[in-house]
Order: sequence, then structure tokens, then C-alpha cells
Amino acid sequence: MQFHVITRCSLVSGVIFFAITSRADTLKINGSTTVNPPAAEAAEILRREKGMQIQVDTQGGSSGGISMLGDGLVQIGMASKLISDDVRARYPGIEFEEIHIGEDAVALVVSKDIWDAGVKAVSKSQMQGIYEGRIKNWQELGGPDRRIAFFNKEPGRGTWEVFAHWLYGSAKKTPSVSFPEVGGNEETRNKVASTRGALSQLSSSWADGKRVFALAIMKNDGSVVLPTNKNIASHQYPMSRPLFLLTDGKPKAEAKTFVNFILSDRGQELVRKHGYLSLKQLE
Amino acid sequence: MLSLRNAARHWTWTRLASFAFTLLAVAFLGLMLGLFVWQSLPAWKHAGLGYITGKTWYFRQQEFGALAMIYGTFVVSAVALLLAAPVGVGAALFTAEVLPNRWRLPVKAAVELLAGVPSVVYGLLGILFLRNWVYDGLESFDLLSGDTLLTAGILLAVMILPTVMTLSDDALRAVPATQRRAARGLGLTRAETAILVGFAQSWRGMLTALLLALGRALGETIAVFLVVGRRDNALPESFYSIPPLVEAGQTLTSKLGGSETNIAYGDPLHWAAIVGLALFLLSIVAGISWAGARLMRRKEECDAPLA
Repeated sequence: MQFHVITRCSLVSGVIFFAITSRADTLKINGSTTVNPPAAEAAEILRREKGMQIQVDTQGGSSGGISMLGDGLVQIGMASKLISDDVRARYPGIEFEEIHIGEDAVALVVSKDIWDAGVKAVSKSQMQGIYEGRIKNWQELGGPDRRIAFFNKEPGRGTWEVFAHWLYGSAKKTPSVSFPEVGGNEETRNKVASTRGALSQLSSSWADGKRVFALAIMKNDGSVVLPTNKNIASHQYPMSRPLFLLTDGKPKAEAKTFVNFILSDRGQELVRKHGYLSLKQLE
Repeated sequence: MLSLRNAARHWTWTRLASFAFTLLAVAFLGLMLGLFVWQSLPAWKHAGLGYITGKTWYFRQQEFGALAMIYGTFVVSAVALLLAAPVGVGAALFTAEVLPNRWRLPVKAAVELLAGVPSVVYGLLGILFLRNWVYDGLESFDLLSGDTLLTAGILLAVMILPTVMTLSDDALRAVPATQRRAARGLGLTRAETAILVGFAQSWRGMLTALLLALGRALGETIAVFLVVGRRDNALPESFYSIPPLVEAGQTLTSKLGGSETNIAYGDPLHWAAIVGLALFLLSIVAGISWAGARLMRRKEECDAPLA
């Protein structure tokens, strides 16, 4: 049973590693994988320039960030959705402070084979048909004869909430379905890219146009809207969402330094660099 | 001898400490079980027996039926066991019966190292290679994607293979060498000795190895999570048909590892349903481990007069 010794050693070293990296003065941040790229880079800069101890994690997406902030496990949460009244009621002792740092759009992305076959846009009613399982083949959208491999974003993800809100008005009115689920943006992009006939919801900045392709939304009059910065800022494109850093009350100490950095010109440049709209672009 | 026995009866610090720590371990298990049962009570009250037999899990409609996840867990583990058992036992027969000793130990150590690789690494390998192999290799089945119960099963088979192999090897080596020599002396070939003496006497130990491996397979989370597809309510029409194997599914562990636990927290009923899943998992794994331990004890009793 030698392998037990090995398992135990790796466990112990893991615990020690955790103990070292999670010292009391460490600024802990957790939440949305969408907010993560600019936040992680900002953390890297602050670590280098100010010697701050910052740990950025993306467990459970926006919901994970909110609940870990609510439980006092992190000082800053990252979220790509507004905090619902349910959540506020669940954590009565927490004063959730939403700090708007930018804007992002949710794109419906397809794999290369579908894009190349000429499917470039989808209408709301077509998307409802796909979501409810009435439309199962790309032929009905003018594509090839291939089954639609729809990957649904996990419930609780900001991306999914925006999608559900656009399609059905609210998460509660959205019908219950059983599709294979995907979590973070990396996973979604890789699974869509590696699956023929794939479709999923993805933060538009991740739709690179090389491996995964953002569909335009077709309006009732037949015109199409692409998730471009201009369309997102003017709210022509229907699925956009604010990006937030969350704190309990006004940010203090290290958390304040971090928030101020993200809101500064340099921080906002990071938001832009990772494909989101900075606050200035929204004005 | 007498003084030793007297000393043991005294409450020495060593004795007290070991007693306290043992109690702590038992109490921890008991508390955990109690906590799980208590926390999952609302789910049982809400769904009754339908909590186990219910085929639909829609948390927004407050429908909590765990059957599809229990099914997924067993299918994935069964595939893993079916694939790992012949390869693992075969490899053990080779290392224990064929390989000379100076080669056996390095090979065994290497295989045991494989058991220490973190499961997330296996999961990433699964995403990188296995998903695509399954997807391309079974193209004629018209898979929707490479995330299937089968993919998860194959990945688990690789993960439990070292356990099966090294424990089977131990079981084979526990058969006394004198018996092998006697068999060879009676004119049996090497292969006949391996099967009729080695295998015949150690099958119980091998079964234990398989049960322990099954316990690991049932509880494995991250690797399965990454390749199983996480599709709720993926129950086949009939339990013995093949196609469901190549569709996405959900296991107890992949559900618990998912983001739904974050949403459930705070809603007593939903949370109870999630904790109940953990209780199922704990009971199943505990049952398997208990059976394995029992078998191990029986084996030792059987071995005793021979040794």
C-alpha cells in the first residue's frame, strides 16, 4: 500500500502550500471567470509594484464570488451580474457594494464548421426553439445537416443569467432543460472549438473569430446586430451586462488599493485589453 | 510478561492519547453522518422516496430526483472496473509470476507513482486527448460531443488501474513460494502454476483490490467532472441499452462539484437536496469499503492455516 504514503505526502504538502499562500494579510478575490482576466493582471501588477499579497480565484463563477464574500472568505468578489434581492436577504449582515468596472456582452458562439457553412445569425425565436429542444438540426437555421450540440452554461453563471434574461425575461421563467453543461469561459471556448455543430453562450470577448465565432442576433425586421463595442455601448446588442467588483461596505485597506487601481486609467486599460468596454467607452 | 500486562492496564499518557484520537476519528465520522442526515431532512420530507427514484432534477421547479445521477455514478464506475480489471489483474500476473524480483520492484514503484498523480491532471489529459479520441473514434455513433459517460469511464479506468494492479500483485505475492515450488516440482508448467496456484489462491485478494478501486472510482470528482458532460436527467429508456453510454450524463460527484452548490446555499430545501447527494455518495462508498474490508478479513482467516 505504498501509494497511500504518496497520496498522503501530496496531501500534506498541499495543506502546507495552502497555509503559506493564504496568510492573514493576503487580499483574497474570488468570482466570475469573466471579470478574472483584468483582475488577475491587476493583481500581478500590484504584487510586483507594491509587494501586495493577492490571491485571485474563480471558484463557482459569480455566484461563488458572491457567496464567498457573504461568508467572509474573501475581501473582494467578482461578479458579472447584479446582486439579486434574494441574495441580499440571504446575507443580512453584509452590505454588498457593487463597483462597476466595465461592460461585457454575451455572444452565442458556434464552431468553425457551422460558421463556414454559412450560419451567421440567429433570431430570438430560433434560439428559444433550440433551448426548448424543438430545433435540433442546423438545417433549420440554413446550415448543414448536423445535430445541434448545445452546451448550456451552468446555472449561476453571469453569462447564463444574461442569456436567460434576454430569452425569457428572467431566470425563473426560463424553462428547465437538460443539456450538457459548461462552466468557465476557457472550458466553453475549448469545448465549442473541438465539437462539430457546437453552440453555446460565451462572453463576447472570448469569441476570437478563429476557433469560435460569435453569431449576430437577427431582429424581427430581419436586420442583424453583431456584438461589437459600438453596439454594446449603445445597447443595440441585446445581451450585455455590467462587470462588478463586490465588497462588504466601502472598500478598505488593501481592497481599496485594488479597487482604486482597477478604476484608474491603467486599470481601465486592462479592462479594455481583455476585450471588455471600459467605463469611458460606455459614456 | 506479567509486568508488561500490568503496565498496559494502567492509564499511561500514550494510551490515553491514542484512545482520545481514535475516539476523535470515530466521533468525526459519526458527527459528519449525523450532520448530513440532519441537513438533508427537508429533501426527504419534500420528495419522500421519490428523492432516490425520481427521474427529474429541476431545482427551479423544486423537483429533486437523484436517480439519473446515481445511475451515472454506477455506469461510469462499472465501465471503469470492466476495463481496469482484466488489464490490472493481467499486469499483476505478469509482475508477480513472470518478472524477476529485481525488475518487479521498479515496475511496481512506477505504477504506484501513477496512483499519486493528482486527479485534476488526469482530467486535463482527458480533455486534451481522451475526449477527442472518443469523439473521433466513435464517429459512426454520431456523438453530439466527446463528453460522455464512456469517456469518464475510460478515464477512471486509467486512474484506478494502478490500485488494481499493485493490490492484485500483493495478493499474488502473498501466496507462499513453497507452494509454487511444489507445483513446479509436480511437473506443472509456469503458466499452470500461475493460474492454478497463484491465481486460485489470491482471487479473494484481487476482488478486494477491485472493490477498493471501485470505491475510488465512485468518489472521484474532478476528472469525471471535466469529461462527463454534466447533463442532468440523462436516464436511458432501458438500463441495458448501449447508446446512453456515448451521451453526456451526470454523476453524484460531478453534480456536487458543479456550481449548483453555490446557488443551493441559503435555500434550505435545495441545500438539503445537495447534502442528500453527498449522503448517498458517502453511503455507497462506505458500503463498498466495508465489503472490501470484510473480504480482506475473510481472506486473512482463510490464509491463516496455510501460512
